[in-house]
Amino acid sequence: MKKLMLLFVLISFLSGYSQSDKIKFEDFTLQDYDGKNYSLSDFKNSKAIVIIFVSTQCPVSNDYNSRMEKLYKEYSQKEIAFLGINSNKEEQVEEIKEHAKKNNLSFIILKDYGNKIADKLKASYTPEVFVLSPEFELLYHGRIDDSRKIKNVKSEDLRNALDEILAGKEVTVKKTKAFGCTIKRVEK
Amino acid sequence: MNKQRFVIILGLILILSLNLVAQSSNKIVVEEIDKAKLEKLIKNRKGKVLLLNIWASWCPPCKKEFPDLVKLAEKYKNSKVEIVGLSVDDKSDLNSEVIPFLQKNNVNFKIYIQNFKSVEELISFFPKWEGAIPLTLIFDKNGREKKFIIGMRDFNFFDKAIQEVLASK
Repeated sequence: MKKLMLLFVLISFLSGYSQSDKIKFEDFTLQDYDGKNYSLSDFKNSKAIVIIFVSTQCPVSNDYNSRMEKLYKEYSQKEIAFLGINSNKEEQVEEIKEHAKKNNLSFIILKDYGNKIADKLKASYTPEVFVLSPEFELLYHGRIDDSRKIKNVKSEDLRNALDEILAGKEVTVKKTKAFGCTIKRVEK
Repeated sequence: MNKQRFVIILGLILILSLNLVAQSSNKIVVEEIDKAKLEKLIKNRKGKVLLLNIWASWCPPCKKEFPDLVKLAEKYKNSKVEIVGLSVDDKSDLNSEVIPFLQKNNVNFKIYIQNFKSVEELISFFPKWEGAIPLTLIFDKNGREKKFIIGMRDFNFFDKAIQEVLASK
């Protein structure tokens, strides 16, 4: 009986640990460059939500424009939601709108005034990716792929994560790192 | 006549060799740095504080703060402070992007270009870092990390940070 109790305590401890290990975000609402409100909860019927912190001026973010659009076009067909977020204090809504038009970015791009959402998610650079489950649990965090020069790409990390999610598998590589431009925050 | 020719040729050789020396003294040498070399750079302080600026030639805020680093290096020349730059550019961009930028800005401090096994190996070298640049770290004379500064700053900010580290125990 004592052994059974010990086993029970151990299982409770381990399951509690694995639960607390998961990062879950709260719902938030931001406006896109046309002033339309979007909340994370608008996408809870998607299979996953991809959030990419983007910039109009960062050369790395700009190097990924066509790749972001391509991934959006492909995976939005598979019920994956894509949201771009611009948190840079110097990049205003009109500039974001013009930049999206010029670079054929057709996914939603939200303006994060005062970098509140960047702070909540602890995003630090562009282009930085967060993939969330429909319950807003973090499934993948990091880069789109491993080189800003397309010809040098060896590992398409975001694509790999999305394919695993769509296949109902656990994401194998949950965290990657890459160089990017610092998100220019407001002074608080 | 032969003697005259000899003097002229000798003079030409002298002028050419002087020119070569001048060229090599202007030449900017950017060494590669890997994990072991970076560890050594940080630990082997010889009593000097280290300001390490991580930058790239494709990064506008890095380029914008660079002249202030040149000013800092001038101020702390022959002092107990060492200023070092670490470029995270692709090595293939060294001659076309990195060196012309350094020449244009009259670089006066040591610059390395990263030669880590992977981008992740370098970013993970500093556990608090996700990869955003510019990143500036200041280590005390014992190689202990004292300042971790993400984003562009100016001369006065860095100068104050250096003074704080110099004053710390």
